[in-house]
Amino acid sequence: MIELKNVIKRYGSLTAVDDVSFSVMAGECFALLGPNGAGKTTIVKMLLDFTRPTAGSLSIGGIPSFRAECRSAIGYLAENHHIPPYLTGWQYLLRCAELLDVCRSDAVDQCRRIVELIGMQGRENTTAGTYSKGMMQRFGLGAALVGEPKLLILDEPTSGLDPIGIRETRQLLESLKEQGMTIFLNSHLLSEVEKICDTAAIINRGTLLVKDSISAIAKDGDTLEDVFVRLVKG
Amino acid sequence: MKTSNAFPTITRIAKYTFNDEVRQKSFLIMFAICAICVFLVRGCYHGDYLVNGQSLDPGTVVRALSKVIFHILAAGVMVIAALLAMRIFRRDRNEGLQSCVLSKPIGRWQYVAGKVLGLWGLSVLFMFTLHGIMFLITSINVNVIMPEYLVASLVCSINLLFVIVAVLLLSLLMPDIVAFLAVLGVGVVGFVADGIAAASQSQMAQMMMLQSGNAPQSNLTWWKVVYYVWPKLLGVQQSATAMIGSESFTGFGPFYPLVNVLLYCLVLGALLFLRFRKEDII
Repeated sequence: MIELKNVIKRYGSLTAVDDVSFSVMAGECFALLGPNGAGKTTIVKMLLDFTRPTAGSLSIGGIPSFRAECRSAIGYLAENHHIPPYLTGWQYLLRCAELLDVCRSDAVDQCRRIVELIGMQGRENTTAGTYSKGMMQRFGLGAALVGEPKLLILDEPTSGLDPIGIRETRQLLESLKEQGMTIFLNSHLLSEVEKICDTAAIINRGTLLVKDSISAIAKDGDTLEDVFVRLVKG
Repeated sequence: MKTSNAFPTITRIAKYTFNDEVRQKSFLIMFAICAICVFLVRGCYHGDYLVNGQSLDPGTVVRALSKVIFHILAAGVMVIAALLAMRIFRRDRNEGLQSCVLSKPIGRWQYVAGKVLGLWGLSVLFMFTLHGIMFLITSINVNVIMPEYLVASLVCSINLLFVIVAVLLLSLLMPDIVAFLAVLGVGVVGFVADGIAAASQSQMAQMMMLQSGNAPQSNLTWWKVVYYVWPKLLGVQQSATAMIGSESFTGFGPFYPLVNVLLYCLVLGALLFLRFRKEDII
């Protein structure tokens, strides 16, 4: 589903991503882990063609990531998701559906389902200016689900959520995984990643340290957090 | 993406841009102030105007005044269009709309084209409405109907396209306010240069030059080349207002300013698309 080959990204003299290669299979729930500034968001941005790699190639479903059509299968949630303060959550979801060419009646049905799924019934018709960070994040996750994408790219999906929200998001991701959706997760919450994901990659200072199944990374009684700290601290 | 699929996306983004701008309080306040100012102008039509002791006929007064107001409105809306355009990319970035749109199967050129189209449509409607109010005032209050006034307004819309494309391009290269001031500077220099050129071609100026022994120079100088290729924003307005009075065209004739500004729109538009392709989306 996702393939990165020898990807390098430089900003002037700073190398944000250094010769990273890995792949994510269809139906897999994958987590990209790393400390702040490791290059995780840069990889996500390159997958979405928000920024171009200095060298190497990225593809989604066999289509190079710089081609717009590869994004028809992607649902994306940005870190610190924002919704324009004058739009209601409902208008925002409908706008996302329209941009994906979903016909009006399907869009309304889909958005209604999504509002239930993200637990925002009753709040969808108030403007985003009144939403908390957690509510923004929930609507952001909802927007990522519009158009029934095959691949979800989530950058810190639980950022700003309370413990109940985190649990509900985990349950939602688990059910999406069961439906066969490929999930690419950027997260700091290692305990959540351990519960949801099949595979993970740990990246530090732009370099890929390990990419394997969660069970292979966290073995011999170690938790994912133990391995993460050990690898990152060197 | 095929062109047939691309246009609905562009129009959708244009529609969102239009709606999002109209929802801004600052836009509504700007529009209200402009409309009130235009309504206040109607008093000017009821005065008696004397030139060399002779009273001017109402028709002449209406046409002359309408032309002056036409120029003021056209220039004013250019400033407003620049103000609207200067913040559009930054606001889309801050409100997450840019990443929302571009994470969908939408090309960057479609996004930019939608933004330009939306802003242009809004500015043209803004100017047309203000000119329309003037048209109604002259039609109702002084019974002078000038349908060419509205056509002239549409001709001036090409200036708005220039301003929007130029400010959008510059806002990618420099701080927003600097981009706004740079385009404002281009406009002011063009207006002043055209004003000086028009004044120097007047009979009085020609006589003064002949009296002082300075015959008008006909050779092509560097400054003249710069003057000819400079964006002819005032030239477009003059071409448009020439329709109102059914006057003969002065200066460059009716088409050069239009071609000049259109060419600028095409070149700056191409640069805008190329520059935005390299832009990192946050």
